Amino acid sequence: MPEVSYADLSAIESALSTINHNIATVNSNVGLLSDVQQAMAYKQDAMDAELKQLREAFEAFVALDAKHKNLQLAETRVGNLRQELQIKFGYYAEIRRMATGILQGVDTGVVGNETIKSTTEEVMIKAPGYWLAPALVALASWIRDDKSTCNKALTECLKRDDYKATLFFMLLTRRLGRNDASLAWLERYFIHQNPQDLDREFITVLEAVTTGVFHPAARAVMMKHVKNWLNQLTQGDQFINEQKTQWIKFFEASKPPLRGDKYPLLKQFAKNWVLLENSLRDVHAQEILHGHFNSIISSSYDFSASIKTKLDEILSQLVTNFDDEELPLQKQVRLNQLIIEKDGDKDAAQAVMDAEESIFKEKVDFLQMLTNAAFNPEAAGVTRVTQALAVSISQPWIIEAHDTFTAQSRNKFPQTVELVIDGFATSTKNGSDEKEQILKQENFYASELQKELGAIAFPTAGVVIGALIGLAGFIFGWIAGLISLAIGGVMIWNNINNVNKKKEQVRTTFEERKKKAKEVLRGCLAETVDYRKELATEDSKAENVRQLLISITPQDFSSVSQETARNII
Amino acid sequence: MGKILFKTENGKMKFEATSSQQLRTGFRSDRDILKKRSAKYVKLLSSLDTKALTDVQGWKQLMDAVHEEFGTAELASLPLGIVSKCFLGESYEVHILDLSGSQIIKHFKAGEAMPNDFEKARSLAVHNSYALIEVYTDKLVLIREDGTTTKL
Repeated sequence: MPEVSYADLSAIESALSTINHNIATVNSNVGLLSDVQQAMAYKQDAMDAELKQLREAFEAFVALDAKHKNLQLAETRVGNLRQELQIKFGYYAEIRRMATGILQGVDTGVVGNETIKSTTEEVMIKAPGYWLAPALVALASWIRDDKSTCNKALTECLKRDDYKATLFFMLLTRRLGRNDASLAWLERYFIHQNPQDLDREFITVLEAVTTGVFHPAARAVMMKHVKNWLNQLTQGDQFINEQKTQWIKFFEASKPPLRGDKYPLLKQFAKNWVLLENSLRDVHAQEILHGHFNSIISSSYDFSASIKTKLDEILSQLVTNFDDEELPLQKQVRLNQLIIEKDGDKDAAQAVMDAEESIFKEKVDFLQMLTNAAFNPEAAGVTRVTQALAVSISQPWIIEAHDTFTAQSRNKFPQTVELVIDGFATSTKNGSDEKEQILKQENFYASELQKELGAIAFPTAGVVIGALIGLAGFIFGWIAGLISLAIGGVMIWNNINNVNKKKEQVRTTFEERKKKAKEVLRGCLAETVDYRKELATEDSKAENVRQLLISITPQDFSSVSQETARNII
Repeated sequence: MGKILFKTENGKMKFEATSSQQLRTGFRSDRDILKKRSAKYVKLLSSLDTKALTDVQGWKQLMDAVHEEFGTAELASLPLGIVSKCFLGESYEVHILDLSGSQIIKHFKAGEAMPNDFEKARSLAVHNSYALIEVYTDKLVLIREDGTTTKL
């Protein structure tokens, strides 16, 4: 009988157990690694967020920095441009001062003929292209009865700038009480005008005549011309539509930015917030416009200075206003001034500049001239009185433009507020349907909860294994059976309990979410109510603006020549 | 959608001026389009709900007012229809006086879609400042109660 020999397996066993141990170690290491990986992922998320913050902060910084630089640059440029103006046209300014001085000197009889003579001849040399220089010579020679010099100077003066010279002598002769001469100059002036291509300073004549600084016969002359022009220009659509477009642009430019954070929830949860915000800005323009037009109208009521003062003002404006040659530089000065005003915001400055730009157009039609005077009297070189007169003559198409602006903004009112709160999308018209909205939201959460609960599977496997274990013990007798039954029972109970706990957790989370979302929804609806209220209130101010515009009548704005202005219309 | 159909002698009223071809070709200047509407026109067309216009007479009266307003010489430039606020009841929002051949007044509830050309006039028609909105193929003309107009 062969001998059975037993192999010693202890070495293998110990090797196996070492392998086992090693595998366990590897397992735990893998577990550690996945922990590390998760930690890394968290860190990366945090880094991303920080990076985003940093980028935003950086972009804000860059924008701010650009503004600062623009501002500094604009400030430097304004200085430089002014200097350039001073160098190139500084002598123009001196002549202007001189003209004013001579006019005053002649008035009071303080300045002698000799002084005037020498000064004026000197200016001819120093300002070779400027119309005011020969005008001063003509004036001086007229004062000392030197007819031949006067005629020569006059011819030269008219050659250099017919309109301004004509206007100058027209106002001057009027000031000196030479009515016939003044009327002749006025007539000459009007004959030279083309209503579709008016000279810039025509508004000054309009101002002079409407404010009553001329002989009453002058009004008839002006009336005749202006009436014809208005008839001519308002026949077709072109001229009126051009003015309307500009007024609409002006109205749009007066839209204010929204102040503060009045509707924080809508801003966060309304999908169409941009539209809502835009409409609010649109309607807020109305109050600003009301103030604007009101100030134009009411500022003219204190128009009580004597006719002579007005003549002086107009005449001094004529001799102090910019010459065409200076305009390009003056334009740049204006742009840089605007950049400073807008705190370095170049785009905003350019927008204002664009709206004002046609003011600087050297030649304009009559309606455009009125619009220029109405938009920016200082830039157009007129007083507030003429601004008011221009507004009143332009009133019919200002109203049309305002109606269009208002209708456009009304047409853009969002009909509903589109809310998305925690995945719940709804829309409300005016926020008054809180009950329905809350109910809708409850239904949304109920169905979401059902979906979520449905996703938690019943622990079939755990229960089946528990049952099998519970029954398996009976193979070894009933005591073992009872023990295994207890173990199986505990397993089943554990499994079911776990699922219930999970479900409970989901329910709690949902309750929490629902509670918060409900508060947000209520807040959004409340803000919607306020929003609609504010929108309606501000929108109704459009009707006030309209009433104000309708109430403007030309006779309000010319102190002396009320019937003249009325007759213009 | 409530409808009022107008009966005519031959069962169908022809309104020759409103083919869309003519509407496209008819040119009017803005001054013409924007001229103030007469009080009669505004009153008649803004009271479509309250007046019993369910017979031939009513339709004729309306059409006469429209013709008178726009002048027979300018038939080609008549609006497609006129939209205004509806006062029939809470749920009704706007109605259309359709001039494009179907000769009906249609009333629309809030949320109920209007025919394509007219939908763009809806929100303005609901606004209290405007009595009527004339709908053209290429523009809207808003009429205030005092007859003044705005082109959009």
